[in-house]
Amino acid sequence: MKLDGMRTYDHDEIVDVVVVGTGAGGAPLLARLAQRGLRVVALEAGPNLDPDDFTNDEVEAPRINWMSERLSGGETPTAFGPNNSGFGVGGGTLHWGAFTPRPDIRDLSLHTGSGTGPHAAATSDTAADWPIEHADLTRYIVDVERTIGVSGPTPYPWDAERTYLEPPVDRNAPADLMALGCARLGIRATDAPAAILSRDREQPHHGPRRGSQNLGSIHQGERFGTKATTANTYLPAAVAAGAEIRPDSMVHGIERDALGRVTAVVYRRGGEEFRQRSAALVLAGGGIETPRLLLNTGLANSSGMVGRNFLAHGAVQVWGRFDEQIRGYRGYPSALISEDFVRPADASFVGGYLLQSLGVMPLTFATSLVRGAGLWGDELVEALDAWRYSAGIGINGECLPHENNRLVLSDERDEWGVPRAVVTFTQGPNEKAIDDHAVGTMTSILEAAGARETRVLPRTAHTLGTCRMSADPGEGVVDGDGRSHDIPNLWISDNSTFPSSLSANPGLAQMALALRTADRMLA
Amino acid sequence: MTAVDGTIFFLPGLGFGAAAAEPIADALGDRFRVVGIDLPGQGQAPDAPDATVGAMVDAALTRIETESDGGPWLLVAHSMGGKVGALLAARVLSGRANVSGLAGAVLLAPSPPTPEPMDDDKRSEMLGWAQHGSLSETDARTFLDQNVASPLGDTREQDALAQVQSTSPLSWRRWLETGSREDVSATVGVLDLPVVVLAGEDDADLGAAAQPQLLSAVYPRARFVPFPGTGHLLPYERPDEVAAEIVRLWNETVLVSPGLSPEWGRLIASDRTPVETRGLLAWRALADHPDYQSTALSLAQLEMLRALADLLVPQTDGRRIDLAARIDADLASGSGDGWRPAGLPDDVSAYRRGLDAIARAWPDSAADREHLIRRILEGEPIGGGGGADTGTGTGAGTDSDQMKRWFEDLRTDLARTWVAHPATMARLGFDGFATSGAVAEPGYVNLGAGVRDPWEPAGLGRLETEDAFAAEESVAADQAVAADRAVAAEESEESA
Repeated sequence: MKLDGMRTYDHDEIVDVVVVGTGAGGAPLLARLAQRGLRVVALEAGPNLDPDDFTNDEVEAPRINWMSERLSGGETPTAFGPNNSGFGVGGGTLHWGAFTPRPDIRDLSLHTGSGTGPHAAATSDTAADWPIEHADLTRYIVDVERTIGVSGPTPYPWDAERTYLEPPVDRNAPADLMALGCARLGIRATDAPAAILSRDREQPHHGPRRGSQNLGSIHQGERFGTKATTANTYLPAAVAAGAEIRPDSMVHGIERDALGRVTAVVYRRGGEEFRQRSAALVLAGGGIETPRLLLNTGLANSSGMVGRNFLAHGAVQVWGRFDEQIRGYRGYPSALISEDFVRPADASFVGGYLLQSLGVMPLTFATSLVRGAGLWGDELVEALDAWRYSAGIGINGECLPHENNRLVLSDERDEWGVPRAVVTFTQGPNEKAIDDHAVGTMTSILEAAGARETRVLPRTAHTLGTCRMSADPGEGVVDGDGRSHDIPNLWISDNSTFPSSLSANPGLAQMALALRTADRMLA
Repeated sequence: MTAVDGTIFFLPGLGFGAAAAEPIADALGDRFRVVGIDLPGQGQAPDAPDATVGAMVDAALTRIETESDGGPWLLVAHSMGGKVGALLAARVLSGRANVSGLAGAVLLAPSPPTPEPMDDDKRSEMLGWAQHGSLSETDARTFLDQNVASPLGDTREQDALAQVQSTSPLSWRRWLETGSREDVSATVGVLDLPVVVLAGEDDADLGAAAQPQLLSAVYPRARFVPFPGTGHLLPYERPDEVAAEIVRLWNETVLVSPGLSPEWGRLIASDRTPVETRGLLAWRALADHPDYQSTALSLAQLEMLRALADLLVPQTDGRRIDLAARIDADLASGSGDGWRPAGLPDDVSAYRRGLDAIARAWPDSAADREHLIRRILEGEPIGGGGGADTGTGTGAGTDSDQMKRWFEDLRTDLARTWVAHPATMARLGFDGFATSGAVAEPGYVNLGAGVRDPWEPAGLGRLETEDAFAAEESVAADQAVAADRAVAAEESEESA
């Protein structure tokens, strides 16, 4: 994005706020603070990219991903790199799928249970409730949807109150087939809410963004601005309001005064060490980098919760083989949604899942066939040859915290001298039960749509919960506003604070939380 | 045209034009389409806008873009054309040309990307010939005599003389004063593509003895072939031998690696495909080096990896991608996938250790090998021993467990490397590389099952308009049937 001509601040100047990270957590907050007149500096570990720097080539696209190695353990290890990580001005929104359902009210209280319906009372001992009112979160979500441009259907079958300002994007073949299968089974399904413009728009402080070009390569980065990223929405607004964004700046240290308050951050840029003084610090590096920094500095962890409660959404997929060429790499990859399974009537588990239609890029599919289905040899090649005839459905499913699912530091250091993250993750019985239920549902839908055969590809997605928010300082790292329980001028604005994973994908909710934290900081 | 195997684009040396390709074309017979190119100021071509090598590349590429059918082609370039060819190949491989299918180059006594070694007296003498216009017959004959080891024979000499004399004096002077002195080596960089460099032993500055030093670093894969009793004018002095080397390079590259049909090649070449992607696909489409020297792995480890690749991602049609070599190159470059199983060492160490352990347990029979792979996948011991300690102390379990996890990385790397090849993309029906280019509609319009956009390869579905035509035809047929029935009814009424 365009950064020349932006306001800059001296290292010795005590700016009002330093924000570490420019993705869904950092950028909305940066913009709001700047717009309210605060002197703010964002430090981004990755580079600043122009739209033309994005490539549709899957081998080269990881330039927008965090490729410094993370170590992954457990029975269902989390894949990083091109999955679950962002790098560059725009953070994870450079590669996100832009699938933007709103959180369901029932998902905010998995511990105590709430809401209505036959299984609303199913609760979890380990899950934590959100110390935030659903209506409050929704108010911010509406603000985000308006700002970044979310397309979707009005009316929305599961929420009569909801209005989308932009009509939905086109359905591709997997969406058509999922719609057909759902219709035959009596499952409600509709066009998915997506942060993809369905019409051209002039984005304030950024410029023209095009309406959807039906690109299937949005996870690799997108050149035309049809997909909302923070680099074409909140960050230009932040810069216009006087924020400074420093790319290639990896924060690895936090300085404090005698009272324990943050006074400065230490970062590396171009092999040199810098120190930026600041009156407040916001960590927005995501579910891996934020706990890694806190564990490395030993801060904000009186609860012992930093790195704990690592959550990864269930993301199992079922693929059906059809007679016609589906070629789901065309079009918005997840153009259809069903929220009928957020609390399935026959559930034996806590929480639920969302369904989305799926088309994927070829290397991504090949990776899932190998890692998820364990294929090799002729069977692998045959499955790849069948890819063009295949349509998928996937889930975003609830994940409960478990004692052993956590992030710790390795004794191996990365190129910045920071210990690498070791993330251990094993799906528990509740996650497996959700997966089983979802596989049954998705298989039925595909068969109803005429699939000749189906194949299950296990997966998980997202990195949440490692600095969770809590009303009780003993139970989490930050309070409901995002402020550290231990250090009053330290805040966290990223998905590490999620007390539970939600069945909705995290991007939209995170941007809303960021605006809310900004307002609390200004209050 | 359908009968030919492919295309040879020929870039001539100073003083020559497209016609200099004819002796080689004659020697090649009708297997290839040979397209000789007049560089600026040669043959029928007007002078370039300026004296740079880049201006000659512009002109040559325009012709190649026009003449290319999307299928594979070799670049054959002589002398001055060699310097043009280097810059041209670099541009093609970076994607900055609307062309696809470059398979390699046969360079004939090429001028290097660095300033061409040339004696000052010789440069002055040659400049003198073109001081007042085109070269005289005497000067042209002197030029030929200075550049051949033995006389060409009447017909070829007359032909060569005519070409030298028809060269524009401006282009002649520009090359000697500017082009030959230009240093384009930084722009050219390293061109790791299949290359053969042919040169005469009786040539001077660009002869067989000089070429390895001039070009080894530019073309790391170059094979240098000296021709005894040969001067500088290889296209005229040794057309049969040049033709034989062209055929050999073709057979060793195009015929052994997965091919891309011209239809798919044209799509890659088109503006629909972004520049960077076009370059990446051009590199990946190149044949692997048959004598690839591994850098991250030992030769034994590379061979073990090749044997595993054959089983894990089998390529059965005889045209192969050396997946093992490509993974070795990736390992050497340090490009990982951003994570690794806890407990495993870095990628290179994990590969070395894993391949060594498998090699120790590698059985002879195909059935036993498959059984071994299944044991690894199940996390069972394979008896190779030495799988051993890890060092990171993160408690990732047993050797067998670690072997299984590394093996999953290996299988993923192999599959991704195979799929990333443009020929595999075509095989799998993926044309998504041709989106996000510099065109008005960079993405897809028709997204439904069984249909395609007009720009997509025909095998990917039917056009919506075909549906429309079919519908119209069906309506027309219905109307015809109805009309027939009406007529029949009238007839029957009449008969009644």
